[in-house]
Amino acid sequence: MLGLAFGQSMAPVIDELYDTKEEKSEALKRHITLFNTEAQVGSICNGIVCGLEEANANGNCTPDLISSVKVALIGPTSAIGDSLWVATFIPILLTICLSISQASLATGWLGPVLYMLVYPIGTFMLSWYLFKLGYKSGIEGMQTFMSTGKLNYLTDTMTVLGLIVVGALTASFVTLKLPIQIVRDVYDAAAGQVLENQVIFDADKVVNSIFPNILPLLLTLAVYYLYSKKKWSPLKLMGLIFVFACVLTFIGYATGVYV
Amino acid sequence: MQIYQIVLIALFVYLGSIGSIVGNTIGWYTLGRPLVAAFVVGLIMGDFQTAVMIGIALQIMYMGNVTPGGAVAWDLSYATYIGTAGALVFGRGLDTAQVIGLAVVFAGIGGLVGQIMWNISYALNLPLNRIAQKYAEAGETKKMFIPNLVLGQLIGFACRFIPAVIVLTSMTAASAQGDFASLIPGWVTTALGVFGGMMASLGMGIIISFLFKKKYHIVIFLAGFILVTYFNLSTMAVAVLAIIIAILYYVSITSLEAKRGEVQ
Repeated sequence: MLGLAFGQSMAPVIDELYDTKEEKSEALKRHITLFNTEAQVGSICNGIVCGLEEANANGNCTPDLISSVKVALIGPTSAIGDSLWVATFIPILLTICLSISQASLATGWLGPVLYMLVYPIGTFMLSWYLFKLGYKSGIEGMQTFMSTGKLNYLTDTMTVLGLIVVGALTASFVTLKLPIQIVRDVYDAAAGQVLENQVIFDADKVVNSIFPNILPLLLTLAVYYLYSKKKWSPLKLMGLIFVFACVLTFIGYATGVYV
Repeated sequence: MQIYQIVLIALFVYLGSIGSIVGNTIGWYTLGRPLVAAFVVGLIMGDFQTAVMIGIALQIMYMGNVTPGGAVAWDLSYATYIGTAGALVFGRGLDTAQVIGLAVVFAGIGGLVGQIMWNISYALNLPLNRIAQKYAEAGETKKMFIPNLVLGQLIGFACRFIPAVIVLTSMTAASAQGDFASLIPGWVTTALGVFGGMMASLGMGIIISFLFKKKYHIVIFLAGFILVTYFNLSTMAVAVLAIIIAILYYVSITSLEAKRGEVQ
């Protein structure tokens, strides 16, 4: 967890604020206890604790309060960090960069390079902003930041954006064919001759004429269902997909789709 | 692979892992993303077009791999660097779908090694707390970086760099035995292609489980889907369209809320 790292990040601050060795030791011990958050959005914790330590050095705060505030910060900051930044912003930025790379192989480098620039710079700006916000306005600052509806609207909007792009990605990247066909020799009455090995039934074509790419869509929704409702692990899902792939390959060879 | 290529890739495996010296923002969340990782491997091995193609496929497959609450489902850094390198080394003479299938398999192997190493490094990190406790008791603010930065990084480096070098070296040795494409039977490469195409559903399925918050959200997902299947738009075109829709959506919900405020 992040206990040690938090302690290290506080070390220069403590060095600055306290004079005697005993005080420094007390303060350091406070900050190497168990701590965890989403480390990028979590910079707000460092900001808030810096402010509190300063107040403590000036006699306006107690060590107990600092520790309990720190523990209280773990939940909300990791929730916001994980759901908004990690699980929403990163995938959306990635999907946009993916689309850029996919558009043309010659300029494929553009996607990764763009991500390498936008993500770190954006995150550093966010972390720095949140750190300052935490330091200046303390715990109240965070409450106002969280309670204004703005954050919810922003998440909703990002979700809509993400869903459309992910839908498009599913359609263009997930491939699944139903490799079943019936091959017969057909007597062509008009030409008066027997045409050999004609495909008279192609299951994949039939399925796709009902709804294009319906099989990849159903597969994706099945993965979603098993993962989120049945709590299957990604590894287990991977195994299932592997078995499916082997079975389909076998069927494909048996009916002559793959040669 | 040349020795310098092995060393460089192994170094990036370490840099892209959780808690490397460059920090999670540049490391895990940037260098550790499959799209970026594949690009880096491509640069090192001199074939970035194939590498980016592999990167796109792996990125889609691992899109759902985020780390909620610190639980690492899969060591992405290992999986993608090893997966891309493996596919580039062994994939000569195979078509796109098969190369991607190969990358998926090697990524699986890499991810497994990574998982073991992750647990080992966690166990090795435990004594560090005691050292930190000692420095804290003594009030040594100047020495706090030793357990966290120096020792922690040494353990992280050893657990990633060394196994990666071993895996990459054995891959190089194996590829010297002959051309992979001519050695294995055709049905294996066919199955690899089928598997690679289906694996993309894993990433997409997991990511929509984060995004589906309300029942009607599936309709928005379907909208993106049919824009590609029925309207034949490219994903980039859909992304641009999605940004426009998102902005309109944001404006409409905020102005709706403002109106509601006025009424009350």
